[in-house]
Amino acid sequence: MIEIKTQKKDGYDLLFLKGEIDASNSVVLDQAIQKLVLEGSKSILVDGQELDYISSAGLGVFMSYLEDFQEKDIQFRIVSLTPRVLEVFKILGLDQLIQILPDKSSII
Amino acid sequence: MIRLLKIHIGKLSLFLALLAWIILLFVDMIRLFGILNEVGSGIAPELTLILEVLFFLSVYFFYSYSIHKNAKKDFINLIWRAASTGLFTVGIFLLIQGFYKILGQSKLSEEPFLLNFFYHIKFAFISIFLISSALLWKHLILYQKNKTVVKQWQAFEYAMLVSMFFIFFNKNNLDYSFLFGLVILLGIGLVLSSNLKWIPYLTFKEKWKSLLFLAMIMASLVYLFGQTIEFSNPNYYPVNLTDNLFLISLFGFILIYAIISFLVTLFNLPTSSVFEQKLTEALSFQRLSQSIQPGESEEQVLDVLIDACLSTAFADAAWLEMREQESEKLIQDRFIDAETRIEISKLISRQKNMLNWELKNDSENLTPIPLRIKHSKFNSVLLVPLILNKTIIGKIVLCKEVRDGFNKEMINIITTFARQASIAVENHRLLNQAILNERYQEELKIAQRVQKSLLPTKLDHNEGFEICAYSNAADEVGGDYYDTFKLDEHRFVFIIGDVSGKGTSAAFHMAQMRGVFQSLIQLDLSAAEFMIRANSALSKCLEKNHFITASIFVINTLENKIQHARAGHVPTLRYKSSDQKSEYLEINGLGLGILRNKQYGKYVEEKTYTYEAGDFLILLTDGIIEARNEKSMQFGFDRIKEIVENSRDLKAKEIQINLIDSLHSFVGGDGMIDDDYSLMVVKFKNSTKNINLELQK
Repeated sequence: MIEIKTQKKDGYDLLFLKGEIDASNSVVLDQAIQKLVLEGSKSILVDGQELDYISSAGLGVFMSYLEDFQEKDIQFRIVSLTPRVLEVFKILGLDQLIQILPDKSSII
Repeated sequence: MIRLLKIHIGKLSLFLALLAWIILLFVDMIRLFGILNEVGSGIAPELTLILEVLFFLSVYFFYSYSIHKNAKKDFINLIWRAASTGLFTVGIFLLIQGFYKILGQSKLSEEPFLLNFFYHIKFAFISIFLISSALLWKHLILYQKNKTVVKQWQAFEYAMLVSMFFIFFNKNNLDYSFLFGLVILLGIGLVLSSNLKWIPYLTFKEKWKSLLFLAMIMASLVYLFGQTIEFSNPNYYPVNLTDNLFLISLFGFILIYAIISFLVTLFNLPTSSVFEQKLTEALSFQRLSQSIQPGESEEQVLDVLIDACLSTAFADAAWLEMREQESEKLIQDRFIDAETRIEISKLISRQKNMLNWELKNDSENLTPIPLRIKHSKFNSVLLVPLILNKTIIGKIVLCKEVRDGFNKEMINIITTFARQASIAVENHRLLNQAILNERYQEELKIAQRVQKSLLPTKLDHNEGFEICAYSNAADEVGGDYYDTFKLDEHRFVFIIGDVSGKGTSAAFHMAQMRGVFQSLIQLDLSAAEFMIRANSALSKCLEKNHFITASIFVINTLENKIQHARAGHVPTLRYKSSDQKSEYLEINGLGLGILRNKQYGKYVEEKTYTYEAGDFLILLTDGIIEARNEKSMQFGFDRIKEIVENSRDLKAKEIQINLIDSLHSFVGGDGMIDDDYSLMVVKFKNSTKNINLELQK
């Protein structure tokens, strides 16, 4: 089960993820990101403090937008990942490609 | 013998009847001769009576046999049979009357023997008509019989039998005992006449026919009865055969039943259309509930449905449309052209309560809705939804020229029709799906077999190490892969890979990964170079949101060296026998297919380790790490580490079994591991250099 809330903040769009992302619901995440990209968002911030689990299919979604973000010059950041989820990002090496921050206070 | 008798009962009784009648005629003629010549014939009157009873009985048996044989015929045929017999008898009477008219005042017209001969003929035909009609009535009365009616009829038959013999005690006198008998018989007859269950089953046309036939029967009865009374004149007929209780009560009974049937049929005429309607509804219902055979289309059911609705509602026009991906597709139409249909659709969509109707959340309980519309042709419509699995799959629109043309009863029946048809359609779809699923299952089984063959059956190794591996897919096919390759006598490659996601798409990518890896392995590349090339090759064939993680080990058993690179894969556990501890190999590396350009090289590391005998490597995929128990706890890295450290003295195969068993007991007996998982265990032994030396010794 995944619950996604999008919020327009000052200067960025917030994607709040709650629950688990696996192969069965990764489409929802994909749609949420695609919507923001199409709307012309310039900065996307994913809040993962209540994201309990992400499978490789979920990671695939983030990965598939990396090029888009680069081309369209979109700033994409992830904050407040739980240690377990952060570990998954690190194993895959995505932490080297995506800016992953410990918490929101580190956003300048 | 008995069977033989049964077969000939018809012929036998006919013969008996004829014989009785001829003897009767003969006896009466002799008696007449005696009277005319004033000579005692010496024949007792009882003989005549006995012959008469015999005649009655044989006619009864003949008809009960012959009607029983043709009992399958419908009611109209039965009534027609009685009516035709009646008409025939009347015809005989008229013929004889005509004959006498031709004779005029001639001497022959006074001839008593001839008169008496004709009298016997008349008697015979009246008896036949009455007995056969009574037996035909029996069939009508006993239609949908119950015990009571059968008993009543038996009582009537016995009373009739008794009445045949009544004449032995009462010689044609209209006294109280005669009247008493008559009242009893007619009373039973009247009670029996209330059994008219056959009438509602006649169609409108058949009812008219039966009215005509019943009228014929009644007319014949009245005419024949009038004739019978004339026979009472003792001057002409010395022996009276017709004035007996049996025949008179039969007259009464047949007439009563004919009159009641006539009246009931007459009063049933206006409601017969309703009965017919109900019958067609029942038939439509039956046709709708018959499931559609595989190979047939659901359109046949919809065809029956629209016709059933049309006739139930007496609608003037109708059409049926099915929803197909948000658009409506016309399936059937009746008595309506496209132009009118579009006009009415527009009128309907403008209706206010229409919006509420379609937006209603619980479409499961959506009922047909009658609407008033202002159209040049039609003034009321009924919308009937077709609901399947709580969603509207289509609707029927019934149009009527009159306003408010749909009543509650129609709507109820139509609702049932629509539900039944939906069920039939659903069953049909489910069946088709089941067949399709079956085929997919078969295909998947083949895929499973093919994929299993993509994994190595034999793992390459030499005396320097033990190796074993295991893989299990969550679905029929999966995305995990492992392989070994022998570069030369002392150098081997182990590889393990995992495609993101699972199931069929993962399986296809796994096959691609295998192809790429197998060709790259041949090139004897360094671990990092292998990953860089694999990334560039896989980047071209992987779907956009898919990636692959892999670990590669190139080992040299001569130098006890391990060269390793990791591409986003789960870190490998290395157990070091020297300090009796294990650790996950820390090395950077990005998954394959994530960066699909030359940049990738920057993110791959390569490390070289040395090993000692007793060390081992556990290559894993994330399915094991992420396997969860009921409490949603992950199997995790630490648990694996602990298990491995505890089984350090075991052989590779035993360590593998230990790990898998622990995994299963952790997840729980019924728990399912919902991802593909694989592992490979490599346990190192002494360097092959030492072995070689030992061998040389």
